Amino acid sequence: MLLILGFRFYFFYNNQPQLTDGQEINFETTILSQPQAVGSRQAFTANYKNQSASRRIRITTSRFPEINYGDFVRISGKISNQNRGVLMYFPKIETVNNSSNILQSSLKSINILRQKLISLFSQTLPSPSSSLLLGIIFGIKEQMPKDFSNNLKTSGVFHVIAASGMNVTLVGGFISAGFAFFLKRQIAIGLSILGIIFYAVLAGLEPSIIRASIMGILVFSAQIMGRQTLAVNGLVLAGFTMLYIDPTLLSDVGFQLSFVATAGILYIKPLFGKQEGIVSEVSTTIAAQIATLPILLANFGVYSIYSILVNGLVLWTVPILMMIGGIGAILGLILAPLGQLLIYLCYPLLLYFEMIVNFFGKIGGVISIQALSWEFIAGYYCLLISALIFSKRK
Amino acid sequence: MRKYFLIGTVLLFLLGCILVYQNITYNDKKLHVVICDVGQGDAIFIRTPRGSDILIDGGPDDSVLSCLGKHMPFWDRTIELMILTHPHADHLNGLITVLNHYKILSFVSESLINKTAGFSELIKVIANQKIKTRYVYAGDRFLLSDSLNIQIVGPNKEFLQTTSPNGLIGESGEFASLEILVKYNFFSALLTGDSQVMELKDAISSGLKDVDLLQIPHHGSRFGLDQEILNVLSPKIAVISVGKNNKYSHPTPFILDLLKSLNIKTLRTDQMGDIEVISDGKEWRIK
Repeated sequence: MLLILGFRFYFFYNNQPQLTDGQEINFETTILSQPQAVGSRQAFTANYKNQSASRRIRITTSRFPEINYGDFVRISGKISNQNRGVLMYFPKIETVNNSSNILQSSLKSINILRQKLISLFSQTLPSPSSSLLLGIIFGIKEQMPKDFSNNLKTSGVFHVIAASGMNVTLVGGFISAGFAFFLKRQIAIGLSILGIIFYAVLAGLEPSIIRASIMGILVFSAQIMGRQTLAVNGLVLAGFTMLYIDPTLLSDVGFQLSFVATAGILYIKPLFGKQEGIVSEVSTTIAAQIATLPILLANFGVYSIYSILVNGLVLWTVPILMMIGGIGAILGLILAPLGQLLIYLCYPLLLYFEMIVNFFGKIGGVISIQALSWEFIAGYYCLLISALIFSKRK
Repeated sequence: MRKYFLIGTVLLFLLGCILVYQNITYNDKKLHVVICDVGQGDAIFIRTPRGSDILIDGGPDDSVLSCLGKHMPFWDRTIELMILTHPHADHLNGLITVLNHYKILSFVSESLINKTAGFSELIKVIANQKIKTRYVYAGDRFLLSDSLNIQIVGPNKEFLQTTSPNGLIGESGEFASLEILVKYNFFSALLTGDSQVMELKDAISSGLKDVDLLQIPHHGSRFGLDQEILNVLSPKIAVISVGKNNKYSHPTPFILDLLKSLNIKTLRTDQMGDIEVISDGKEWRIK
């Protein structure tokens, strides 16, 4: 598998269209993941195709007009080639209307649903409560005020607003349990797989949700075939598929964090023995943080030792918020006031969550590093892996 | 199942506590003027004694939402009046987000346009939501049922036409920005947006004087004020809406020194965060 991936990387990087600094390009593409709004700007990645090869370009543009995934756009502008990849600043972007493409029209209709959900939540609760709830349930982040999302980062709980494993488990479990009453088990499980795919698209197709969905789908399909799966195999297969399709993901922070954190939970957490309730959540946090520490430091520059405490204080609210808010969302699409009632019910927990996050976000990071050398990162992982192998042997 | 029922009941109880608490703090029959901390830009929120909501400008981004969230009860999702002092990005972009989160009943601005994508988006959303829109000049006023008086003191039509000949706002130099005087019985606050010396002098020559609260124009820019204006307005307190380490070096030492030499107490959003002034119509205090 590694060999195949190696070949894929080799061919991919050799066949990339060459783009030089200052070069003017003009291309059409479909936006495949939700642009992120930061302050007065929005940023997204577009696929530039040239004959058979393609290349991802990171585009930064002004906040308005807003671009959504599923949009088919014509982009023209100047390339700015820097050490962190191919970028374009403020190119001319026109939205082209052609919904002949099935992929595009289905993305469009899911996006309409997404916008409906966003307005249901944001017209029911004030910000940041509404955006926190949207983040927890759907991984929707574009409504999050900047100061609050910074506090989430410094206090170490930003991961709760990325759609990932827990969301997939809940969605899949909910559907299969619901339909198992009156359908054949296989069909119910098949429906949960469809539900997971639908949810992943709704959540904006970020690396963390794609990884979790692939793993989740594997678990459910194994159930249809009556087999057991190992989570590790699922993780490896998910990583392989994603990197094969898009080798540039390897340098994506979200992808790195999601994989390394999952691996940490699978390998490091069992060493702490069996736990339940809040202790289990804290040990999950510690395992994931041991595994991801160098990535966090290299990319965000700060790490707060309080983050373990913060996670312990707030994580128990997440499944409750997902359940009540999720049911509220479904009901709200049918009959708005009914959904709003349930969303109101989330408000006390959200206030508690915000209080903790804002308090610890203000205290700030404890370890802060300007630049992290690759030698340190490599050394850290060598030590970590060898320590893990040792402890397995005993 | 029983577990979820129990959790639901506890949450319902807590929600009830929050309802009672917020009703007491936000519906206190007093006027609240909040200079929101939105970084480099302006957003001012007013909650009237009877609980109507007025938003003047929205700042450069989403930060205004946090301010609204903090100063309105959670069930109140309506803003009765939204005012844009002038169509520059650091005053209007946040309003677009506000329009997506709140129900806006009416929109008021000066009769100027801008070519930016943000401004076209704002006008598009306002038109889509069919919000009642009015363009105002000096002399127009809104009298609210709770005896709150909102007066437009500048710019007049003539000033608007001289500074922006084609109805298109300039990016620098002298341009028009709504100046709003909020009066509640004996308390008065002058909100100036990005207005500059000439426009304020026009307002003063039409009789504007003696205010309690003065918002320093244009984030403390060099060309917003002079000593003569300050002498006439004689504010008890001055507030500056400004971002930390902004690229324009606002507020300027000239303005800060001027305020200091006249012994006017000055508060800044980059140092204090949101600044809230509360008045019952006779006395006022800073929270």
